[in-house]
Amino acid sequence: MFYRLAGIRHTSYTADRALWPVPVDRVQIAVLLLLALVAPFVLPNLYLTSYLLPWIIWSTAALGLNLLMGWAGQIHLGYAAVMAIGAYGAIHLVRAGVPFEIAIILGGFLSAAIGLVFGFAALRVKGLYLAISTLAMQYLVDWIISHVEAISGGSQATLQAPAFRVFGIPIADDRARYYVALAVCLMVTAFMLNVGRTSFGRALAAVREKDFAAAVIGVNPYRFKLLAFWCSSFLGGIAGAVLAFCYYRAVTPEQFDLDVSIQAVAMVIVGGMASVIGSFLGAALVLLAPIVLNNLVDALAHALGLSLSADVISHIPLILYGGLIIGFLLIEPLGLAKVYDNLRNYFLVWPFRHARR
Amino acid sequence: MKKTTIICAVLAALCAAGIGPAAAQDKAPIKIGTALDFTTVYTFVTAEYSQGQRDYAALVNARGGILGHPIEIDVVDTGNQPQRGIAAYERFKDEGAVLCDFLSTPVSRAVVPRALADGMNVMTLFHGRSDAADGKVFPTIFPMTPAYWSQATAIIKYIDDQEKGDLKGKKIALVMIDSPFGREPLPVFQELAKRLGYEFQSFPYPSPGNEQSAAWTQVRRFKPDWTILWGAGGGQSVSVRDAIGNGIAPDRVASVIWISETDTNIIGADQTKGLLRFEGVAYGKDVPAIKAIEEQVIAKGKGAGPAEKVGGTYYNIGAASIALVAEGARIALGKEGEPLTAAKLKNGLESIKDFTGEGLLPPVTITADDHQGGGRGRIDAWDGSKWVAKNQWAAAYQDIVWDLIHKSAEEFKASGK
Repeated sequence: MFYRLAGIRHTSYTADRALWPVPVDRVQIAVLLLLALVAPFVLPNLYLTSYLLPWIIWSTAALGLNLLMGWAGQIHLGYAAVMAIGAYGAIHLVRAGVPFEIAIILGGFLSAAIGLVFGFAALRVKGLYLAISTLAMQYLVDWIISHVEAISGGSQATLQAPAFRVFGIPIADDRARYYVALAVCLMVTAFMLNVGRTSFGRALAAVREKDFAAAVIGVNPYRFKLLAFWCSSFLGGIAGAVLAFCYYRAVTPEQFDLDVSIQAVAMVIVGGMASVIGSFLGAALVLLAPIVLNNLVDALAHALGLSLSADVISHIPLILYGGLIIGFLLIEPLGLAKVYDNLRNYFLVWPFRHARR
Repeated sequence: MKKTTIICAVLAALCAAGIGPAAAQDKAPIKIGTALDFTTVYTFVTAEYSQGQRDYAALVNARGGILGHPIEIDVVDTGNQPQRGIAAYERFKDEGAVLCDFLSTPVSRAVVPRALADGMNVMTLFHGRSDAADGKVFPTIFPMTPAYWSQATAIIKYIDDQEKGDLKGKKIALVMIDSPFGREPLPVFQELAKRLGYEFQSFPYPSPGNEQSAAWTQVRRFKPDWTILWGAGGGQSVSVRDAIGNGIAPDRVASVIWISETDTNIIGADQTKGLLRFEGVAYGKDVPAIKAIEEQVIAKGKGAGPAEKVGGTYYNIGAASIALVAEGARIALGKEGEPLTAAKLKNGLESIKDFTGEGLLPPVTITADDHQGGGRGRIDAWDGSKWVAKNQWAAAYQDIVWDLIHKSAEEFKASGK
């Protein structure tokens, strides 16, 4: 009833291959896009800068990692290091006088180049072994950044993001920074939405399912594994640069440590492999749930007048958060994207539940 | 239906909780936002530190507040994640806090650019950027306590005094965590080695410091006369244990501020007798301010945590932090009147002169240029049950410290351009 399928006829190949053949989906996307565009004027600054902004940046990063993990089936435990390379690269380039638009892309290329080197490991090893070799990348990059003062920025190991302009417009306030992040996020999202219907995306899927079977049908697994690493690292580098310029406004090595890599992997797994909407939902859960749970538990303890120690109060959200993730994965191992899909399928035929789609 | 009712009730409760209880006070509270790491890295210090902060605030409020204004401390956990610190910071700002505290170097580093842009005060006692002592470059960042560089000079000064001013040919080893924090004091030790003529060598161990035996076998070969520890958290007790295991007497080992009675008790209270450390805030219950807390807060059952922690190393640091803020707020309210804003509090803090916080602190004088507060500290030693001061509050070789502060602050300024 909500998703009316009656009257939708695919009379041309273009119509058949549209991203959203159902009109309601298109309306939904348009509304979401509109909301995202007017958010800075409607939302209080607190929600814009500390919830929405990090969420879209982290979603961008999760999309990049999802390309590698979800579409190409290669695990990566050093994604934060990839982001760090992009962030440091872009900041150093902007400080050297390169315009922001070019610096962020060059930062992405730098990440892609270094990420590709570690991608070679994927040609040899799989699964857990690949996890360990990408973990090595995390440690190596961490070590180099914090030990080379020319990169990290002196004994205090902090580099401030310089003031920057995009197409001549100075980006000085939270609103402007949000729009920059949103623009990058939309571009990456558009790219990821389309990956699935290109020969590239289908080749990745073939490699993911079985690499030698892919070779048998004429898909070169070497080439596509490396391409997956290259693309994913490029997106990661860009997300890292946006994170540094638009959100943190400074970079320190701790912002890209192993914990962050694990969080990125969690975003992809909890959100749903090879799903665009899953990357957004996963980023929301992993990034925002701890903050929201913390505030809720705190407020509840205050309201109920519980005299718990701050120690206990701050550990309760952790327990809830852990339970939440286990719960989601138990109920729906395919991730939050599948939960959304189930809901959509339900409403697709509602109220005629007996009608199978 | 029942399910719906329950859900509605829970939602209503959550909404009510969100609004929060309305406190009945005569004058507007002075809000301090503390977003601390209770759960991840700084667990060794946070609970005690926060307890000290809240108990001292309760003491101020029991005495009638600051010119009638009670202090209100908002405590939230960040798990040492910068993004959660930033979220908390934005919330504090919205709720009208005049000062924030993060007690985590990564989180405060991430917040510094925002705080500078917003004019929000951030206190960074014994953590964060050492160069924030330069009030010209960091107008609203307040370390108010000796920077790590000042701690390094104080330790060398003590060693120099013990050796009767003759360090020529003596060997000093620095065993430190291999991180920016661990490498921070290196220039001080190297510069002083040139001045005083001792032989200096550093021995880094990998972070987080659970395994340091490789570094300590090298230290053993070096045969140092004095050994200095530079770490924090779990790595510290490993350092001390390895030092003792390698035949280094504890009374020849001096540590940066981050070692406490908890660590010495873990290793063995008797084995660690004589262990030296830098002390920036007076330890123990034998301090007028702590006695007042015991009488007016703890005895009345208003303590924020276990009573046995009162007077501990990190507890007293927490108490001292609020003592400094309360003093700054008192000056600001007296001079510039109501309401207290972040800008007024900044001026108040910069007018603090020879403040000792009823015995908690060395005389602290903060000016618009010097946010370090003078850099005074002392060395104390573990006697098997408590820390005993070995010398008087003093600052040492501040010329070296300020050279480094200015140099690093200039770098920071240049990086933002």
